[in-house]
Amino acid sequence: MNSLNAMFPLLTLIVGALLVLILEVSIKRENKTYLAFISIIFLMICGFFCVQSWGKDFSYFNNHLYLDNFALFFSIVLIITTILVTLISMKYLSLQNTNVGEYYALLLLALSGMLIMVSSSDLIVIFLGLEVLSMSSYTLAGLKRDDQKSSEAALKYFLLGSFASAFLVYGLALLYGVSNSTSIAVIIDHFKTESSLSFMAFAGLGLVIVGFGFKIAVVPFHMWTPDVYQGAPTPITAFFSIGPKAVGFAVLVRLLYPFWHVAYDSEVIFSLLWIISALTMIIGNLIALRQTNIKRMLAYSSIAHAGYLMVAILSQDTSSLMFYFVVYLFMNIGAFAAVIALGKKDKEYLELDDYAGIGFKYPWIGATFAVFLFSLAGFPPTGGFLAKFYVFSAAVREGLVSLVIIGVLASLVSVYYYLRIIVYMYMREPTHEVDINLENPALFLVLFLCLYGVLQLGIFPGNILLIIKQAVSSIAFL
Amino acid sequence: MVPTSYFIILSAILFVLGAFAFFVKRDLITQFLCIEVMLSAANLAFIAFAKSASSLDGQIIVIFIITVAAAEAAVGLAIILLVYRQKKTIKSEDMNLMKG
Repeated sequence: MNSLNAMFPLLTLIVGALLVLILEVSIKRENKTYLAFISIIFLMICGFFCVQSWGKDFSYFNNHLYLDNFALFFSIVLIITTILVTLISMKYLSLQNTNVGEYYALLLLALSGMLIMVSSSDLIVIFLGLEVLSMSSYTLAGLKRDDQKSSEAALKYFLLGSFASAFLVYGLALLYGVSNSTSIAVIIDHFKTESSLSFMAFAGLGLVIVGFGFKIAVVPFHMWTPDVYQGAPTPITAFFSIGPKAVGFAVLVRLLYPFWHVAYDSEVIFSLLWIISALTMIIGNLIALRQTNIKRMLAYSSIAHAGYLMVAILSQDTSSLMFYFVVYLFMNIGAFAAVIALGKKDKEYLELDDYAGIGFKYPWIGATFAVFLFSLAGFPPTGGFLAKFYVFSAAVREGLVSLVIIGVLASLVSVYYYLRIIVYMYMREPTHEVDINLENPALFLVLFLCLYGVLQLGIFPGNILLIIKQAVSSIAFL
Repeated sequence: MVPTSYFIILSAILFVLGAFAFFVKRDLITQFLCIEVMLSAANLAFIAFAKSASSLDGQIIVIFIITVAAAEAAVGLAIILLVYRQKKTIKSEDMNLMKG
């Protein structure tokens, strides 16, 4: 249905971002936290609009913006991510001396870029959304301006990110040349009428997949991930590990699922993605083994998780992909929140040695962190187990047995480095004094919410599966 | 009239040159300009395809891409400047604080 309602979530975010930017000028440095509350209010209004348009298929701009349930589901997941990230940032920013108001505005703008990406099926609009997201992300990564690592992270993210965008744009140009359109549906229709894909079509599709491969950080396009994740402010790392990945996979679903039904020639792309998926799971987990920096280790773990998600793309099972994202959201933000909790004025504890004895000194933080790590490793009764189980069982149904074997072996390897942190927390004597700032109610709220999410999804996943079912049944391939 | 394929070949050459130079060059500004060359290659391809199919879409897309490239330049140069202030160098091999 053509209606202005389709614009409301986006408009809310942009108005919110501009308001935060205007207010930031007139607010004193120590009061900047109020801006976080303003942006949370706008995020909630935006979420309200998304929930309200559920099932109504609003569209605008000649269907370039199309809010089907699939888009709305991802929008809501991303809005929840941003709310949680805003909450864990509040104290962190003043502790780390980066208390600037632009931070919240940039988060809102990044979110608006992501909403554009998930709710469009025209590749040029998706590209523009991607650039809105990327531009805000580059800046967010470098927001700790006095920290050399943060600037370096921003630089690396910028160079490799825009390099990847150039690939994406050139791929789009070739696809446009083949089919005279940038709408995914028209491109796929064109593929259906041809007897075999031309070289140009293959090159175009390949370049587009490479472009998105950079954004979702799959091997061999993952080189930037560990450096950027390590250097960026920790809440932003949590944001990067979920936001860009979620939208990248949402776009791949829209692009590749109809393409699999083009019977001929799609095997080449399929086997290419098969190899990428296997490599991502193996290399991500193996390199994570020898990391001693927690943020870097979580970066490699998020690369490995992109590999598992790729399995879901290959087995064409959208519902397991979406369930995985919901679980991944809670366990990953939870893990990063626990990392942030271990910090005080101008100091973050990020090395593995710092975690020795934490489990007894700060029992609550230690216990919740342990639950998130168990979930990331995929132990029952946490959500991480069910998520992996759905993805792999869907893949077995589709006959991808060898890929599933690689995946299960790789996740066995991952148990080692997740459990190593728990071993450090509970079985090592602390080597040096670690004292942290505990006056951080928002952070503990997030820890609690994520703990609840991980356990609820692991024990009673019924409701969310029902919602996912509704969302999957309505994917519009316009 | 010059056939479309000429433009496409030219744009492909430009794109490959840009991508190649991105890996070979060791200067951040040059690397950044390589990306701009790659974007221009895409622009050229879009215009050539739009002309041969006589559709306007391609030309409008080019304007979008130019806008994006301009915004990217603003953010990118600011980041390079920030790095230069801290390290007093813009050689990419000096960006080595994080490893592993």
